[in-house]
Amino acid sequence: MKCTFKNKRISSIITVAPSQEYRFDDEYHYFKMTEAQAKRFKKMMSLDRHRIAPPEVCASDLCLFGVQRLLDAGVLKKEDIDAILFISQTPDYILPPTSNVIHGKLGLDHDVICLDINQGCAGFLAGLQQAFMLLELPAVSKVLLLTGDTGSKQMTRENRLNYPINGDAGAATVVERCSDGKTIFMDVKNDGSRYKALLIPGGGYRMPSSAETLKLREVEEGVVKCLEHIEMDGAAIFNFTMDDIPPQIEEVLAFSGDTRDSIQHFFLHQPNPFIVTQMAQKMKIPPAKVPNNVVSLYGNCSSTTIPLNVTLNAAEPLLAGTRRVCLSGFGVGLTWIAAVMDLGPLDFCKLVDYEGT
Amino acid sequence: MDKPEFYQRLAEILDVEEVKPEAVLKDFDVWDSLAILSVLAMADAKYGVSIKAEEIRSVVSAQGLANLVEAKQK
Repeated sequence: MKCTFKNKRISSIITVAPSQEYRFDDEYHYFKMTEAQAKRFKKMMSLDRHRIAPPEVCASDLCLFGVQRLLDAGVLKKEDIDAILFISQTPDYILPPTSNVIHGKLGLDHDVICLDINQGCAGFLAGLQQAFMLLELPAVSKVLLLTGDTGSKQMTRENRLNYPINGDAGAATVVERCSDGKTIFMDVKNDGSRYKALLIPGGGYRMPSSAETLKLREVEEGVVKCLEHIEMDGAAIFNFTMDDIPPQIEEVLAFSGDTRDSIQHFFLHQPNPFIVTQMAQKMKIPPAKVPNNVVSLYGNCSSTTIPLNVTLNAAEPLLAGTRRVCLSGFGVGLTWIAAVMDLGPLDFCKLVDYEGT
Repeated sequence: MDKPEFYQRLAEILDVEEVKPEAVLKDFDVWDSLAILSVLAMADAKYGVSIKAEEIRSVVSAQGLANLVEAKQK
């Protein structure tokens, strides 16, 4: 589904990573890998290190830390926040919505929209679309878009398929109304018939939490999990990324009247470096335009890979001026969303470590 | 399709010198999910075909795999 928005912009982005960094070389014994297997896996997936939040730190803590930094920097004022969107698969509670908890911790007045969205790797774009739609309301001129996940809580460390590539992180993005007259182009697609490709089967109300859903099993060599942990059909996801994403990016470029040349940065979601490399090759986009270092340095942090990518790789040009960018998020759902827009000059663009509260 | 070239690409994925057409895939030490992912990527990048993991698992030999990719090209 194609949509356009006008007179809206991203003004600030802050990404927050837990300070705890772990190296693949120190961890591969947890996955029951031999040295040779580890070497092969590391090379193919370009793995090096990742960030994992300690058990007591939730996604909302990372996001809130980021919001506080924006407030301290003076680029955001509490009284200007008209809506809080919290995009996550690791909320604080089943209920209430985590956006309400954040609203309370920030001490905001009552005239604020709070909304949680259960989304994953397309989450930044799903949230952005929601923010743009909210900004169509006359009463809303600034939206706080929070994306965050602590995926490490949905798997064991003894899981060679998911844990080595996972990263925990949160981000706070300020989306606001402006009068630049520029158009933002988006394409949104969903396919619920493939919902099982990424699934946590237990712990919801289809299969309530029980001793059985919590029982750990070694389902294959080096993969210990329970029914409340993430299940990923890796091959189906690979097929999805190769079959569905490049055509969507082509479509959104055609929609906005752009080409590979006119786009300065392709900020794609990064499931793992192998997939991003294959996608860039397939789309014939020069690697220099497709940063691909998020998973090697921080891990796949779901909805936060795009803000992490932007703050890690393009803070300087985006603080200084305007860049033509293509954003693409894809994953659980399955959901895939792509956008083309002008980004910058930003008021704030930074990646920081979480320092606790 | 250039079959010898296909077997050479498969040999690189399987980390061996050469792969004979009759070679049984699951007899290779490194025939695991990473190898299957590499085959999916190779089929897409070099032959322009999308194959599913189930389809790969349903073939036994290197030749079976080559035939699968070739059939998809048509």
